[in-house]
Amino acid sequence: MSSLEQNQRASFDTLLRPHLDRLYRLSFRLAGSKPEAEDLFQDVLVKAFARLDDLLDVREPGPWLCRVMYNHFIDNRRRIRRARLVCVEESQLPGQSLDSLPGDLDPVRDAERLDDIMRLGQALATLSDEHRLVILLHDIEDYKLAEIHQITGDPVGTIKSRLHRARARLREALGTDGTNSRP
Amino acid sequence: MTCTQLTEKLDDYVDGLMDRAESATLGAHIENCNDCHQVLARAQGLRASLKAYGKSSLPRPDATFFDRALARAAHTGIRRQRNRWVMTGAGGTIAAGLVLWMLGGMFLKTPEIVAPAMPSIVMTLEEPRTLNLVFSSATTLANATMTVVLPQGVEVVGFAGQREITWITSLAEGKNILPLTLIATSPEGGELMATLRHEGDDRTFRVQVSIIS
Ligand SMILES: [Zn+2]
Repeated sequence: MSSLEQNQRASFDTLLRPHLDRLYRLSFRLAGSKPEAEDLFQDVLVKAFARLDDLLDVREPGPWLCRVMYNHFIDNRRRIRRARLVCVEESQLPGQSLDSLPGDLDPVRDAERLDDIMRLGQALATLSDEHRLVILLHDIEDYKLAEIHQITGDPVGTIKSRLHRARARLREALGTDGTNSRP
Repeated sequence: MTCTQLTEKLDDYVDGLMDRAESATLGAHIENCNDCHQVLARAQGLRASLKAYGKSSLPRPDATFFDRALARAAHTGIRRQRNRWVMTGAGGTIAAGLVLWMLGGMFLKTPEIVAPAMPSIVMTLEEPRTLNLVFSSATTLANATMTVVLPQGVEVVGFAGQREITWITSLAEGKNILPLTLIATSPEGGELMATLRHEGDDRTFRVQVSIIS
């Protein structure tokens, strides 16, 4: 490896490391299954290396990387969606979700929470990509509307009304929408 | 505030996007309206469930996954960078160069190719010159090996002192251009050979390089 290449490698590492956790989470939210998420994550790192010069110039590499990932996901959505559908079926197998529960949950409430979680996962899977994504990013990953705007490029107002509709759909899918019977 | 208005504003309230006055109005309504109280409780409950779902549904990468992913990305990136002259050669450098060879049909699978008389280029000492090798392939060819053997005193810019350069590359369907930027460091000149190998088959391109000082 030449000294130029060693330099590139070192700045790539330094620049990327602080963002890897968040990027990994985002890739899972987008892709929906671990193998697909890790492929997506890897693809984005390869893209980032190819655009190292741009990356060095960017003031906030975090949102920049998220945006690269989002666009890559959108471009490969059809392929990735297939994997997600398979993943949903797998998650309905009993036992699978139990293993993935973190240890800090109250054991007494585990069964109830697990039930909630399985139902939510299934309800989320019935939403359109746009609706599911906005809920995953905003309500689950705590991205602000402005941050989602940075990632997707959609206007904040559009994202906000999409979020509103997505939550309504989700409540419908869960059968907990109490607003139907209201005057 | 009516119940319908409240339903429309509920997201802003739950998300904490409301100013204090609006938020107080909404709060007052909720205290006195059992229906809206329940709607709010459900909305907040859903947010809490989504958080729990988020925690439970996220897999952890293996301990070494990030290290491996970074290393793989850098490895791929550096390899592509070295091959960039092939991969992106269809860009701006074409006009400056000399087109040496064009094959019709499927590259390497064509049994008989009539070679034209060996082309030649004339270079000025110490003056870079770009030579474009053009390949046309009917299909994508992965894992092809390219070897360039240079005459004495001729170098590829960026590969000082190397008489022979070999790398793995792939050909896209259609036209592929390999721009070689050469520089003559001494006046001998001679034959330049570029050999492309794919699955046991190979083709060699030769060009006579003469140097004037
Ligand atoms: Zn009310």
